Amino acid sequence: MTQADSNQAPSPRNILIASALAFIVAVIILLAVILPAEFGVDPLGTGRLTGLSALSNPINPFEEQLEVHRSDYVEFELGPFESVEYKYLMDLESPLIFSWRADGEVYYDLHAEPAGLGEDYAESFEQGNSSQRSGSYHAPFSGIHGWFWENRSGSTVLVRLYTAGFYQASTVFRDGGDYERSLEPVAK
Amino acid sequence: MGVNIRKLLTTASAAVWALLVSAVAAAHTIAGSDASYVQAIDGPAVFPFIYLGAKHMVTGYDHLLFLVGVIFFLYRPRHVVQYVTLFAVGHSITLLLGVLADIRINAYLIDAIIGLSIVYKAFENIDGFRRFLGFEPNTRVAVFVFGLFHGLGLATRLQEFTLSDNGLVTNIISFNIGVEIGQMLALSAVFILLSVWRHRASYLRHAFVSNSVLMTGGFLLAGYQLSAFLLQPPY
Repeated sequence: MTQADSNQAPSPRNILIASALAFIVAVIILLAVILPAEFGVDPLGTGRLTGLSALSNPINPFEEQLEVHRSDYVEFELGPFESVEYKYLMDLESPLIFSWRADGEVYYDLHAEPAGLGEDYAESFEQGNSSQRSGSYHAPFSGIHGWFWENRSGSTVLVRLYTAGFYQASTVFRDGGDYERSLEPVAK
Repeated sequence: MGVNIRKLLTTASAAVWALLVSAVAAAHTIAGSDASYVQAIDGPAVFPFIYLGAKHMVTGYDHLLFLVGVIFFLYRPRHVVQYVTLFAVGHSITLLLGVLADIRINAYLIDAIIGLSIVYKAFENIDGFRRFLGFEPNTRVAVFVFGLFHGLGLATRLQEFTLSDNGLVTNIISFNIGVEIGQMLALSAVFILLSVWRHRASYLRHAFVSNSVLMTGGFLLAGYQLSAFLLQPPY
């Protein structure tokens, strides 16, 4: 075939080859890539070989924890322009469920510090001004995880924090110092 | 023959490209916050549905690949308008009737047929029908009929949600208008790109390969949807 006659109508043979090839290439891609990646079916073993099969692994909603979960309730006051931090010691992948309510608006910052690395590596996940927040949290690394609250109003605010989850201890940062407090389970 | 083998290789490598494109847009559905919006709606919402229709079309690579096939050899804007109107009338009919008459056909099967419509168009573009059947089925009728199927696909997608009867007709028509707007947007982009390419000598030289790649994409989409139909758990 030369350049000039490739502009002519294609020959039946070429049409047949092209169509068959289109079909075969599609089937190969389907079997080798799409079935393993999308449906977890791996007829050629390519999904296991390339790691594509992992894409179709359904996320198991069950996640085992080795310890018993704990719950905690704490209530504290913040005078005008006072601030405090309550943090839980949590391992990687540990879940936490929480609600806090205040009788006035406070500034809050949900953040965490990786174990042993200190404040420089702190990561913040949500901040704002509100009188209440509820949510769930999944520890992205081992360390201390919790909230910074600051009362930026002129009157004293009472904050109540309820939590449940797989944490080991609670630390309070207040007035330039920190101390470990004992957990106060919501129900014994 | 040397040229031939190179062509075949090009086809194969381009098929990988087609795969990447289809992998990027993994599922062609109304998803996420759009889905929860559609379900929560009660009453006519003209602009949101226009937007959803347009978005569905612009991001719907199966519809787009089909349109690439349709306008591949249409050089005049007049012809493009003619064919696209036929396609639009086709899918409008089944979209409206499908939703109103509550016709539900498995979305995967419809999407597999849409994939095969791309194969059909590409086969027509490489002259397959004339060379093998000795005649070419009327291209306008074919585009219209495939328009009917594409519309059934759209209707099936919309019906995956519990649509409120309140304002239903307004909303389907809005969705349809959005589909046409999205189609015009996508089509203009495709037409401009093809027109630029047409001025180069490579266009006709690669027309055969391009349509073979298009065909591969069509087979791939059909295979993907059929696999989903056969393998996906029914929830």
